Amino acid sequence: MVTYLVGALNGLAMGSLLFAIALGLSLVFGMMDVLNLAHGAVYLVGAYVAVALAGDGASPAAFVLAVPAAAGAGAVLGGVLAGLSRATPHHLDQALLTLGVSLVVAELLSVFFGNDVHSVAAPAPVAGSVTVFGESYPVYRLLVIGFGVVLAVGVYALVERSRLGSLIRATVADRGMVSALGVHTGRVLVGVFAAGAGLAAVGGVLAGPILGAAPGLDEKVLLLALVVVVIGGLGSVRGALLGAVLIGQVQALGTTLLPEYASFLVFAAMALVLLLRPAGLLPARTAVHA
Amino acid sequence: MSAAERTQAVDGIRPRRTAGKAVVAVAVLLLLAAAPLVLGAYPVSTMTRILAFAVLVLSVDLLTGVTGLPTLGQAAYFGAGAYTAALVGIHLTSDASVQLLAGLVAGLVTAALTGWVAVRARGVVFLMLTLAIGESVHQVADTWSVVGASNGLAGMPPITLFGGPPLLAAGFVYWWVLAAAVVVFAAVALVVRSPYGRTLRGIRDNEARMRALGYRPALARYGVFCLAGAVAGTGGALWAAHARFVSPGDLGFEVAALALLSVVIGGAGSLWGPCLGAALVLLVRDNLSAAVGGHGPLVLGLVFVAVVFLLPRGVAGLAAGIRRRKEGLS
Amino acid sequence: MTPLLELRGLTRAYGSLTAVSGVDLSVLPGERHALIGPNGAGKSTLFATVAGTLPATAGTVLFDGADVTALPEAKRARRGLLRTYQHSSVFLGCSVLDNVALAVQRVHRVAHRFDRAARRFRRTEAEALRHLESVGLAGRGADPAAALSHGERRQLEVAMVLAAEPSLVMFDEPTAGMSAAETERFAALVERLPSELTLLIVEHDLDVVFRLADRVTVLHLGQVLASGTAEQIRADDAVRAAYLGSARTDDLFTGGTP
Repeated sequence: MVTYLVGALNGLAMGSLLFAIALGLSLVFGMMDVLNLAHGAVYLVGAYVAVALAGDGASPAAFVLAVPAAAGAGAVLGGVLAGLSRATPHHLDQALLTLGVSLVVAELLSVFFGNDVHSVAAPAPVAGSVTVFGESYPVYRLLVIGFGVVLAVGVYALVERSRLGSLIRATVADRGMVSALGVHTGRVLVGVFAAGAGLAAVGGVLAGPILGAAPGLDEKVLLLALVVVVIGGLGSVRGALLGAVLIGQVQALGTTLLPEYASFLVFAAMALVLLLRPAGLLPARTAVHA
Repeated sequence: MSAAERTQAVDGIRPRRTAGKAVVAVAVLLLLAAAPLVLGAYPVSTMTRILAFAVLVLSVDLLTGVTGLPTLGQAAYFGAGAYTAALVGIHLTSDASVQLLAGLVAGLVTAALTGWVAVRARGVVFLMLTLAIGESVHQVADTWSVVGASNGLAGMPPITLFGGPPLLAAGFVYWWVLAAAVVVFAAVALVVRSPYGRTLRGIRDNEARMRALGYRPALARYGVFCLAGAVAGTGGALWAAHARFVSPGDLGFEVAALALLSVVIGGAGSLWGPCLGAALVLLVRDNLSAAVGGHGPLVLGLVFVAVVFLLPRGVAGLAAGIRRRKEGLS
Repeated sequence: MTPLLELRGLTRAYGSLTAVSGVDLSVLPGERHALIGPNGAGKSTLFATVAGTLPATAGTVLFDGADVTALPEAKRARRGLLRTYQHSSVFLGCSVLDNVALAVQRVHRVAHRFDRAARRFRRTEAEALRHLESVGLAGRGADPAAALSHGERRQLEVAMVLAAEPSLVMFDEPTAGMSAAETERFAALVERLPSELTLLIVEHDLDVVFRLADRVTVLHLGQVLASGTAEQIRADDAVRAAYLGSARTDDLFTGGTP
């Protein structure tokens, strides 16, 4: 029983990270139908920023510094991707462009950092463990869960309560109508693209002490983020949250129960959701909610 | 000119052009068949891999070019075919035709089991779902011990044909792969020209119109997805027959992306264009990669970006444009 | 005679907006029935609801004596209820012949065959060609549909719909955006259609309406305002007041009666 509870905690930590990563992917897709295949590469940039600045875990300040550094790098990359995808109206071409960027970025990363698996130590003050359910549990993962909760509340407030948020929701629901109303959607789209990419890169830093950094990790993360978006419903913030928590739990349960079939379980979960709710659990387009 | 005369005029042009095409096709076939007689073992081995990969690319073209469903998941069915053929080779028989059939069935069954998830979507959502399916199958291959997990599946004996001796020379394997690839190409060409191919193009152009004419597009889409799975599985079996080793990398994201890139470079919807694209893409990956210090993916990434801006309709589109311009002049 | 198409209290709402409200309408076999009404009267919505493109909110659609309200669009088409679109809807990437052949091969039940090349299905090809000829596009079979003019696309759409062997064809504003010459050619084409074919036409051009229609139904604010022969509609005071918004109906209707 305790094993499951610890597994559930791990799942929550994973879910928090997945929410941070999948949010940008979902909103960019919902707002402009761009499938950003470089999203995993953006994540990996964040992970390597953590390796470069705070790989040894000696200095907590360096780790804290890595977060804005990664956010900046991710946002720049997101801006470039947004500019590229706005250069062509065809969705397949946009996907191919982001795919090309992802290959280039991943290859550059492996040129600079090599092909070894890098691990990132949690910053010293939170590297220890506390006793949870009678077992010792890493403090860092609890902090990640806390980060997920804060992020979810913050994004909810931004998207559901602010003017910018209502513009984002309206753009997801009906882009043509928003443009027809005279709102210049271009800047909002680029902004959301950059912010989403920045958040994914921050996810890369925070996931560093859990998942490390290695070539190929970008694809795994992209897959999980895609599944989260598909399960939750395209362009939906609440959907991304629900999907992330669900997939986090499926992953954690899978690794506890059937480690060999963990990835199969993720697909099975996606297939099941699509069978019952083809548009995802909380789709954005039928009902205009975050 | 009356309508009847114009119809005749169109028909009068057609046989000549068809005859010209047939001559080119036979010439290309003869050249391909003669390759092992003049080339060394390494280029022949490269050409074998290109042929097997081209079969995968044909399956992507069937979905992306003909039906308008861009896919990043075909490598999964290619891999299913390759793993199945390798397992048959290791445990059952070295007969290449049995392996081919097993690969075909494996691709078909895997596509039939997973395809219904994807075919309800269209456009970029379809792309996204196929990518998720493909990556999931990849992860399964990477962790499942029955197929060697991340080590892959080695120890496949050389193939035999019709009870003959093992085909050890690269040339013989090449001829087998060439023969099979030509048959698949002809089969896909037949599908494209058939009434079903017309139905698929109709779905690509205007799905709502198809429904208003009484069609059920979802059924036709599922059918072509299974068909494309079978084609990709056949390609996988051919790949395994040559490599005699299958690893999770063979059904990874990169393979799926390269297959889609080949279709886009070649010109979606044309059949010969994407085959040419397949050759180009594999040559770039394997040869240019060495020339730029092993950074093939870097070059490929730039190729992706360049293709979108420079070759929006692929090589086949370029050729069609030149042909039109010539006809306009004459 | 039992009507071929009968609507009973057909209603379609978008949220709180009721675009079509309790429409009763019957169209007899072989009748040429026109549906007119000012912009926003609900003509296009009614059309889409009858064709099955949109589900009805309430009411029933009876076609050939059977309740088809719950059937999807494709199944209604298979029973012979075909429609055209306000903006020509053809297969732009396919050849002109392929456009028509798509309709024919579904009727001939060969749409999913892939054992032979399409041109080996002689009966299907010949039938498609015959329909192209009947709308005057015989020489364009090999051209891509994208190369056709606006008027030619309309002609192609008629050939497609006829090739699907309909018993009722619904035209949604067929002459919208056409030149005078194209409109004339189109009206002549419709007049030549077999007399047993039932037509329901939404049309703005009243000349065309009174030239082609046996009966006219006027739709206003989602409801049937009047229904009758062309003469009855011309004389109807309610139509004058609501549809035309003025008493000077004679000016507006003179075009139809030279």
